[in-house]
Amino acid sequence: METKPVNKPIIEIVRATKIYSPDVVALEDISLSVPAGEMLFLTGMSGAGKTTLLKLICGIEHPDKGLVEVAGKDLNRIKAKEIPWLRQQIGMAYQDFKLLADRTVAQNISMAMEVAYHNIRAIKSRVIELLQKLRLEHKHDALAGRLSRGEQQRVAIARAVANSPRLILADEPTGNLDSKTTKLVMELFEDCNISGTTVIIATHDNDIYRDADYRVLELHSGRFLPQADMTTSTSNNMP
Amino acid sequence: MKFISTIALQTSRNLQKTWPTQFMTLLTVSLSVLIFSFFFLIYTNMINTGEKLGDDLRLTIYLEEEPVLEMQAQLVRKIINFSPVEEIRFTSRNDAFKRLAIQLGDNVDVLDDLDASFLPPSIEIYPKKSLNTLAQIQRFSEYLSTLPGAIKVQYGQEWIERFNYFTKLLRIIVVLSGILLIMTATFMVAYTIRLAVVARQAELEILRLLGATNNYIRTPFLIEGFLQGLFGSSLGLLALFFLYRWIQLRFTGPGILQLVDFTFFSPPIISIIVTASITLCIGGSFSSMRKFMRI
Ligand SMILES: Nc1ncnc2c1ncn2[C@@H]1O[C@H](COP(=O)(O)OP(=O)(O)O)[C@@H](O)[C@H]1O
Ligand SMILES: [Mg+2]
Repeated sequence: METKPVNKPIIEIVRATKIYSPDVVALEDISLSVPAGEMLFLTGMSGAGKTTLLKLICGIEHPDKGLVEVAGKDLNRIKAKEIPWLRQQIGMAYQDFKLLADRTVAQNISMAMEVAYHNIRAIKSRVIELLQKLRLEHKHDALAGRLSRGEQQRVAIARAVANSPRLILADEPTGNLDSKTTKLVMELFEDCNISGTTVIIATHDNDIYRDADYRVLELHSGRFLPQADMTTSTSNNMP
Repeated sequence: MKFISTIALQTSRNLQKTWPTQFMTLLTVSLSVLIFSFFFLIYTNMINTGEKLGDDLRLTIYLEEEPVLEMQAQLVRKIINFSPVEEIRFTSRNDAFKRLAIQLGDNVDVLDDLDASFLPPSIEIYPKKSLNTLAQIQRFSEYLSTLPGAIKVQYGQEWIERFNYFTKLLRIIVVLSGILLIMTATFMVAYTIRLAVVARQAELEILRLLGATNNYIRTPFLIEGFLQGLFGSSLGLLALFFLYRWIQLRFTGPGILQLVDFTFFSPPIISIIVTASITLCIGGSFSSMRKFMRI
């Protein structure tokens, strides 16, 4: 593999701890640096803290200790006005999808682009393109609530990708998918990554990263396993 | 442009979803505009009439004796000393007699056996416009009655008092219905928007997560408030206009309305009422949104 030039980090986490009240330590003393354009996997058993880490990155949750910096913004000190801007830079596919059951598939995906004021025609063609890539074109006008979980999952992924964000966070994106559809989804993420998007995938399915040489960080009870820690510290030598 | 079309799309979606409540609010707003503007219309017409009556307000002093020229000059000086006046006119016994004869017209022969001396001479005073409150006129008339030779001062006291009392009452009604309008417009709109917000809570939360700005979330609701104010007040004023036309048609011919010259609001007043309603409705919507934005 040729050594890529190491980009400026898009995510910089320094010794972050997250405690859910009253005393659930979800993340403990986590440090992580992700250069822009990287694709990396976050693994670990259920309850290890993967979702919490993704939530810290997109600013839904805040660390009790430590620093989280995304796209150059310290999330502890970010101005309320900048939060929408930041969220438009991040496409998150939630583990629980967070779709609107009474809206069509197309409307659900469009929302991500509407908030960024894209024009209607651009939104329509982007939605069709994504549905084709995920083999959901026949569900364009179906209500999201009527879809199977696997279909809903793909809609959530399409919505995360739609606005062409700088950073994609996917939380268990293949949890409900068969191997064929999993391949489609991974191809979509890889395409995004090739065009420069940073992609972080949280998963407990080690099949999806087995053959590739992406960085894989394993969480265990809110801490990175030592081998993962080393990777972190090497890429931490950034100015 | 993209901002406008996106927001327009959002707004029309909202309206499609919540139109029954929106419609009820619209009716409430127009009804309160109708009530308020109805009383306000009567009030403005009263004020107009009052001004017109004030134009030919005059005080008449009846005198014991026909004043000689010297005396007349002295009286004028004393009157002007107390208050500036538009005009002072002396009416001699003879003038009064002639005037009465003219007023009697064909029945003038009743005066045949009478002498001009049975009518008192008088002074008619047309006060300046600045002298317009009842209290001022009363004080003036009290002063005039102390003038040498004055028997009695008349100025249509009873009528003016009644008119003023009625105007005062109407002013209170206008203020009360104005408060009603403010409350309904603000609270009803705030309430409707609040319902719409609650109904769309899940959606708004997802919009937040997707990076919708406050403006993106708020503007459609503010536009709804704007539309409520615009259409609510227009509908109310339109209803009032039809009511006004109906009253005019019903009561044409001799009568109080002819005397009073009943007119509709002028365009500036109409635009003030519409603008005020829009402002109130947007205010109501804004207050609801502010509560939500803080959550
Ligand atoms: N909102 C919450 N309140 C309290 N505890 C939570 C909450 N969310 C997650 N946790 C706890 O934090 C730990 C990490 O959860 P999570 O980040 O969802 O793990 P994963 O995504 O790896 O399964 C778990 O023990 C979980 O029970
Ligand atoms: Mg999880």
